[in-house]
Amino acid sequence: MATRTPESGGDDRLGQLVELVVELASGDRGARMTPSPASDEIDAVVVGINMLAEELQALDADLEARVTERTLQLEQAQLQLERLALYDPLTGLANRTLLADRIDRAMTRAERGAAPPAVLLLDLDGFKAVNDSFGHAVGDLLLVEVARRLRAVVRDTDTVARLGGDEFALVVLDATDEQVLEMAERIRVALLAPAQLGDQVCWVGASIGVCFAVRGQQADALLRDADTAMYAAKTSARGAVQIYETAMHTAALSRLLLADQLRAAIAGNQLRVHYQSIVDLQEGRTCGVEALVRWQHPTRGLLLPGEFIGVAEDTGMITALDRWVLDTALSQLASWRATVLGDTEFTMHLNVSPIELRSPRFTGDVLGSLAHHGIRPADLVLEVTETQMTGDDAQTLHALDTLRRAGIAVAIDDFGTGYSSIGYVRQKFLDAVKIDRSLITGLDTDPQQQRVAAAILAIVDAFGLDAVAEGVETAAQAEELRRLGCRFGQGYYWCAPLSAGPMTMHLAAATRTMRWSPS
Amino acid sequence: MSDAARGTEEPDHAMAVAVDDLGIVRLTWARGLRITEQLASDAMTLVDRVNEDRERPLLVDMTGTATLTRPARVTFTRKCSASMIALLGRSPVDRVIANFALGVSPVPVPTRFFTSEPAAVAWLCHGDADT
Repeated sequence: MATRTPESGGDDRLGQLVELVVELASGDRGARMTPSPASDEIDAVVVGINMLAEELQALDADLEARVTERTLQLEQAQLQLERLALYDPLTGLANRTLLADRIDRAMTRAERGAAPPAVLLLDLDGFKAVNDSFGHAVGDLLLVEVARRLRAVVRDTDTVARLGGDEFALVVLDATDEQVLEMAERIRVALLAPAQLGDQVCWVGASIGVCFAVRGQQADALLRDADTAMYAAKTSARGAVQIYETAMHTAALSRLLLADQLRAAIAGNQLRVHYQSIVDLQEGRTCGVEALVRWQHPTRGLLLPGEFIGVAEDTGMITALDRWVLDTALSQLASWRATVLGDTEFTMHLNVSPIELRSPRFTGDVLGSLAHHGIRPADLVLEVTETQMTGDDAQTLHALDTLRRAGIAVAIDDFGTGYSSIGYVRQKFLDAVKIDRSLITGLDTDPQQQRVAAAILAIVDAFGLDAVAEGVETAAQAEELRRLGCRFGQGYYWCAPLSAGPMTMHLAAATRTMRWSPS
Repeated sequence: MSDAARGTEEPDHAMAVAVDDLGIVRLTWARGLRITEQLASDAMTLVDRVNEDRERPLLVDMTGTATLTRPARVTFTRKCSASMIALLGRSPVDRVIANFALGVSPVPVPTRFFTSEPAAVAWLCHGDADT
């Protein structure tokens, strides 16, 4: 910045003024000229140019400040957009996109010699029950708490991401296999601690799949394999840690194939319903049947439920499958009522997935199907497997209550195989229990088994429930059960599961003889 | 930048405020002064103090002012207790400075530049009709 002062000798103010204008024009906005004491027209021009230059300088500064402010706003907006694009808004964890990017970077580092990363994928066990029981607000609080605990366990160099729902993933860098597994264990333990969420205390666990990357692997393949391991962890035992093995991928592929085939089977009339009779041990008559779904597979033959129900549940096809079985069985019952059964006391037992019990449409569909086929609700018993039953979530309890109020009975299947048998019989949503075949085997020869069966039947009776013994194979077992006061029996001793045609003949014969005589 | 280029800033002797017999408040700036934002603000405070809760015409004698800074010009756009303002100067330099004060930012009350004190007083007393 230059300031021109009028020279003492002579008057060269105009020359200096020209220099001032040149300096200002060349970009030196701070250039000024001191007016002379004359305060004449030339000085007026000097002062005017000085003040205009000051104005210009101020406008420049204003503009610069505005540009700086706008740039900052743009940067903040970009950061916010980036945050929206790369982070989970609920938990603040990385999202799937950022996770994939971190995996890619780690794999690039591995190509240059660093250790390949490990990916941990975890899914909460029991999250749905928390959501269903306490609402989504509490569910969200739980997810935030889980995120906090995960952050506390990992190192700064690792990435924790939420992939959606109750699924989280971690990328662990520069760690040995042992360190990764120790981290997985620390996560498992950290998540086991109860979480205080507002007024609620919730317990959840996590099934964790671990996949150690190999050089050259793609991010999506790594995530897929970790997911496969997590699925294996979930199906083996809840709250487990499972390391990915190649065989798991093969198994996962066959499940995918099976899922595709099952989809075609439901649409393509490959499903069958077989019926196994249930006998009143005291009166000796066939008083009902259990409907059992089968899959007439085009190449593998007749498949039992154990081979495809899991896939149906995982893929959501269980809804269509259960509805089809419900409709087919009730239609068959209506047909039997019209031909061989008449008004005889007779119940149709149907297995229902606990997933279905939590579906808001389930009760309406059941009642609608009963009405459609003209079947009394009292003729239907819904069986829920004990080991799959959570029983304490609001949606399930509401469904069971609605069904029972309508007159439909509810039975626990495979009673005695879970950990909470006594707990369930104390609940108010049951009418009957089906005692698992493992408690019936040896009943006719093993005195200890007899004592166990007697104790269980006494408990069932104490709670005012009916007992149905499953897997009865001999006359002696049937007789022993009758002696112990068991009301109903089911098993090969009386009848194998039969398709509708043979079962119709069986029922026709049974109604003719009416009675089964204990030997 | 030299003081000569910018004028001096001596708040203690920079200004004087008085009320004449006609009820006109007279603000007189020291000659050769660089009027800054602070000086502008002090002058307005002083005028307000003299006026108390009244509004009166203001005659500003800015003869020989060296310069008026931009923030000072912005300060003068605030409303004070002056009902109208006459700027009094003599030289072409005074005229340029006054017109920067008048023209760059809008003023809140009627404001004009005069080179004649009687004309300025007449305008303050009687408005445009007598000027």
